[in-house]
Amino acid sequence: MGELLSLKGYVSGTGDYTLDSDLLYSTVTYVRMPKGLKAKIWCKRISGEAAEVKIQYTNDVTVATPTWKDLSVEKLASAGELVLEKRRPLVIHSITGKEAFKITRSSGTGDSYVEVEVEFE
Amino acid sequence: MVTDRLGLVKEGGWLTVYLRPTNKAFVFRVKTRWNKGYETFNYGALPLESGDSMASYDGGTTSVPADGVIPARAYNSTGKSFPLSGALDETDMWYLTEDYGDRVFHVIQRLTPSFLRVDMQIPKGVSQGRFQRGKKIIGVESDFGFNRGEIETIHLPRMHYGYRWGNDTNMNLYTSVQFTYGEYVIEIPENPNLIFDVLVGKVPSHWVSLPICVYDRAISEALLKIYGIEGFPVYREDEKGKAVSEYAEIIRNLKR
Repeated sequence: MGELLSLKGYVSGTGDYTLDSDLLYSTVTYVRMPKGLKAKIWCKRISGEAAEVKIQYTNDVTVATPTWKDLSVEKLASAGELVLEKRRPLVIHSITGKEAFKITRSSGTGDSYVEVEVEFE
Repeated sequence: MVTDRLGLVKEGGWLTVYLRPTNKAFVFRVKTRWNKGYETFNYGALPLESGDSMASYDGGTTSVPADGVIPARAYNSTGKSFPLSGALDETDMWYLTEDYGDRVFHVIQRLTPSFLRVDMQIPKGVSQGRFQRGKKIIGVESDFGFNRGEIETIHLPRMHYGYRWGNDTNMNLYTSVQFTYGEYVIEIPENPNLIFDVLVGKVPSHWVSLPICVYDRAISEALLKIYGIEGFPVYREDEKGKAVSEYAEIIRNLKR
């Protein structure tokens, strides 16, 4: 069992969710993973206004303009809540230590919230 | 099993502390576990103080933003100890003076978040991680030569150990430490045959290899001051005759 981190995110309009957690002293817009570990995303909750929510990944977050790839896309069709418990988690690998993931809202207006349970192991 | 479910040596069990640079070891019998039944200590946050300077994985330094918070992409290049009010040395809770030569601490340090890097300096200030003999220095500042989330050691008296932690993520993180520890009242056996049997594995023992690659003078001085010896050389099973006669000689110098 690795370390479970509950990340909560907020964005108004489109763009990257600002992520927070009980273990975070200050918020982040992406998570650079510890080198050699995996991030397993077990659960996603999307709430607020309608939104298209993507989990995106980059191989190198240290470059001036990282290239972000979509790993998963979920749609909350109308205002409300969408809860996705993953029996098989979304797994993101850190190979070089420069990898990172973020959660972004690609469409929608108004306030949107996400919660994800991330396990690092 | 020599150890219990906590990973600590049972009373009456054997503990071997191995020193790599000298290929010597100390064989201790744990007579008593002074804190039996109360082995867990939720210490609190790492001893990082707001404003402390830490080295950055990206070059330069970075500041600790609040007490107990490890900054993003940061590590402490010099080891730190755990302060404890009322302890023998209030700046280092695991430090024992030579008057406490009958005791050692067996300490398992667990970190939250568990992906933090950790290594140790023995004595404090002397980094011990080495690759290819001494070709490359490794540790929390490097790509390897550290643990994540947990480290186990034996604190011998008269030596300050330094712990280093690293956070290679981009998050400023609150931290906490839990210790599982045993305050062992120990004795060193005076039977050379028994010492040999422990060191070749005929008598079960919990073997802890201290992460020492550089045999600093402070280590040898401390060992001689406390025990009068620097340990028992580790021999092969077929070298019993030589080993036992040497152990008998070493035992004569043992401080009792």
